[in-house]
Amino acid sequence: MQEHILTVIIFLPLFTAVILGVFRASTRALKVGAFLTSVVTLWLVLWLTYNFDPQGKMQFVEHAQWIKHSGMSYYLGVDFLSLTVLLLITLIMPPLYLYMKHEERKGYWYNMMLLQTGVTGAVLSLDLILFYMFWETMLLPIFIMIGKYGNGMHQYNAMKIVLITILGSMSMLFSILYLGYMHYETTGLWSFSLQDLTNIVLNAKTSVILAAGFLLAFVIKIPLVGFHTWMAPAYGSAPTPAVVIMSSIMAKLGIYGIWRFGFGLFENTLIFYAPIIIVLALIGLIYYAIRAITEDNLRRMFAYSSGSHLSLIALGLFLTNIYAWSGSLYLIGTHALASAGIFIMIGLVYKRFKTVRISELGGIASKAPKFTFFFAFFALSIAGLPGTGGFVAELLIIIGAFETSFWIGLFTAITMLSAMVYIFWMLQRTLFGEQNNSTEFTDLNLREMIMLFPLVVLLLLTGLVPSLFTPMFEPQLSVFLQNALYAIGGLK
Amino acid sequence: MEQFLYALPMMVIVIGAIVLMLLSNSRMTLNRLNVIAVFILALSLIVQFFIYGEKEHTYLFETVFGSSFILDDFASIFDIMFTVGAMLTLLINNEYFKSRRYFSGEYFALILFSVFGMMVLSHAHELLTAFIGLEIASLNIYALVGYHKTRKVSMEAMMKYVVLGSMTGAFYMLGTALIYGAAGSTSFGQIAIYVQNNDIHNLSMLIIGASFIMITVFFKIGAVPLHSWVLDVYHGAPYPITMFMASTFKIAIFAIALRLFLVIFAPINGFWTELLQVFTILTLLGGSWLAINQTLVKRMLAASSIVHSGYLLIAISSIGLGSDLAAPAVMFYLIAYFLSSVGSFGILSFIASKKKTQMKYEDFKGFAHRRPYMAIMMTIFMLSLAGFPSTIGFLGKFYIFTAAIESGQFLLAGLGILTAFISVYYYFKLIAMMYFYESNEPQKEFPIGISTVLIVIISLIIIWGGIGTTLIPYIPGADGFLDIALQAINSLK
Repeated sequence: MQEHILTVIIFLPLFTAVILGVFRASTRALKVGAFLTSVVTLWLVLWLTYNFDPQGKMQFVEHAQWIKHSGMSYYLGVDFLSLTVLLLITLIMPPLYLYMKHEERKGYWYNMMLLQTGVTGAVLSLDLILFYMFWETMLLPIFIMIGKYGNGMHQYNAMKIVLITILGSMSMLFSILYLGYMHYETTGLWSFSLQDLTNIVLNAKTSVILAAGFLLAFVIKIPLVGFHTWMAPAYGSAPTPAVVIMSSIMAKLGIYGIWRFGFGLFENTLIFYAPIIIVLALIGLIYYAIRAITEDNLRRMFAYSSGSHLSLIALGLFLTNIYAWSGSLYLIGTHALASAGIFIMIGLVYKRFKTVRISELGGIASKAPKFTFFFAFFALSIAGLPGTGGFVAELLIIIGAFETSFWIGLFTAITMLSAMVYIFWMLQRTLFGEQNNSTEFTDLNLREMIMLFPLVVLLLLTGLVPSLFTPMFEPQLSVFLQNALYAIGGLK
Repeated sequence: MEQFLYALPMMVIVIGAIVLMLLSNSRMTLNRLNVIAVFILALSLIVQFFIYGEKEHTYLFETVFGSSFILDDFASIFDIMFTVGAMLTLLINNEYFKSRRYFSGEYFALILFSVFGMMVLSHAHELLTAFIGLEIASLNIYALVGYHKTRKVSMEAMMKYVVLGSMTGAFYMLGTALIYGAAGSTSFGQIAIYVQNNDIHNLSMLIIGASFIMITVFFKIGAVPLHSWVLDVYHGAPYPITMFMASTFKIAIFAIALRLFLVIFAPINGFWTELLQVFTILTLLGGSWLAINQTLVKRMLAASSIVHSGYLLIAISSIGLGSDLAAPAVMFYLIAYFLSSVGSFGILSFIASKKKTQMKYEDFKGFAHRRPYMAIMMTIFMLSLAGFPSTIGFLGKFYIFTAAIESGQFLLAGLGILTAFISVYYYFKLIAMMYFYESNEPQKEFPIGISTVLIVIISLIIIWGGIGTTLIPYIPGADGFLDIALQAINSLK
């Protein structure tokens, strides 16, 4: 059990889904099964975290042959980076299932379980083909959830997100195949494990091209400005659980991909792309903020806001210093929690009002104080209110930016303030003022409070006591960074 | 006596076909004839499993036929695929031909005869024998395509296929004549020796002859620009026949093409590289273009089968550039394509047996609601055809693209990946149609019958072939299928 804990964590949801599907479980059984699965995986991951050694590299490694002819291996492992995302996935799932309690459509639940397997697998695999498999598989439930249960032009938008994302993955596939072939050419053996592929010596030109293949896939997933055309429509028409997963987990997987595979395989080539990414990220900070200010649809607004924060994370990643990197990792966590919270709140608004247009809302504060508190809390923690985790993370990234260059730092700091503008203005228009809508607004009930409570606690903890979390990732992060810097220095 | 055993699979089928032909005018019901036909095929299949892996390079009845027929694992594997393909065609379409008036007894005899022709083709070790095999298979398929005699589209398809097919058959004969003129023999062995002993500059006549044969092959696999028949013929033929053609007959052509290209013309196969590359590019792009624009699912699958020929051509041109991975890649891809296309056409014809109209994309709206399990399996087949990871189709593409990269054809590999991306559009469109729309009709029970059970099994094999390891013995997983492909290729050399 202990040796195969990662396998269990990945495949438990899928296994449950298959079992329930084969026995044609009733909706009630399905709900209970899904929720229990998410709780069990959460428990397993917490156990894993408890036994995780912050000083060690890859832990709980599972390595077995999978398809021997082509050197694909079943290779899993967890380190500080994957543990962060893994924790987020498992933390967000139970509240989501609580949110979905009254959802009677069975396909919804099956897709959520498949999705959990997909994202968890992508985070934990250390074999490129295995990673690619999960990376593609997690798209399928999203495709069906947007297309089937979405709103607006959901069929069109589902196709759009799938095509654009697969375009990225296909370019990544080419790079993966080429790397595998390079390994075959130099050693005579096929292998796609990350460990083996890092040893390949590539000449500068191929390395630049191959890195582009990976970057395209990740940059689309994040998405940076210029690759973002799918984002707002997809977020706008996806059902709430899918939006939460997309913004909290899948977008973070893009960052994770750059971190793990970009810096793992092409440390010294990424410096070539750093100016481009930094410029795109800076443009993104402003562009997404402006789009968010002018947006009337709450979901789309927070889609842009999410894009802006992910640009910030990407920026921090490519500044390659310890402040920026710690800040990026921290922001991955806090933004995932906060955006999960805010998108769930928007989902609750939609359930009550059947609209998420700011112009049709208003006057909530006087009728639903509890709702107002939670909504404002999540919105402000997205904006980086001091006392919430977002503040710590953003501060770190801004310090990192100043360390690299004064102008980048100044620019970042100023644009981060723009988040305050749209958040406060949005809060004013949705929560206060006159109600523009005749529907009765009911306050949060106990179930809804319970599902939001852990997110609030975690956001406060990350904001007030960062020292609880930093020892978990700091030692290995600095080692990782030193390796990257060493490689970059080697290029110069 | 051993010789007799080796020839038994073919003999069983041809004798069975004759018996069925005689029985077809009796008062037997179609159902019973179907059972007999499947029984004959199963009998042959059992014998084939005994022969498989037994002997290398044996000529069948050498005293009578000389070196015309060869028996090796390569041929055996193709035989198994043909037989299984025919069995699946007959079993899955059990419902279909019961619901159509125009089916009569000789349908089964024609299928069996064409399987016999394909087997001759895969065993042929001589140009004329191969031609006879090709024509036996083709003639029966011509007849099958035009089986719905009163339907205009069907007749048009048949005429188109007969005229064009016979014309390209003439190309084959011309090529054979030229090769005979150069090498003085039509036996593969003699030709191979002739090719080996001569410098490429002295081989112009043989190369011209071989190029003519290649044109026939290109025509039969539907390579662009020789593809104009594919859509209309696949569209005009009844569903079972389309299924049989797309999955089984197409593979038969590759049996002879691979044998020629890998063995006989091995020393000079680099000569055709540029030609193959041009055909590949045209086929990939042209096929994708056609597939995007279709409204009928059957026509989309037909067009996409052109694209799949394109992928195979990538690997074949890699063979010419000296890639070791390419030949097994072709075999593996053929197996993967065979499974996926049998499955997808199987579901189509299963649905078509209840409906009398042509199936458009729109007709699949709400399909997942009406038949959730069928929709899941259709999704699996579509994903496999699109090369989505965790299906066997992905591994097929994986081997093909790595072979292309190995041989240095980065552009072709890139183009292949690009067309795989385009294919996501037209395959996912069907998935979208099935899942994204609600249906007013009530949910139907999963009909447990021979057709549906077989479809379930195929879909499981596709998944297992994509992710399976050797955990379960006797059930080939991803590795097992590649082992089979490698064994087939190794038995050629």
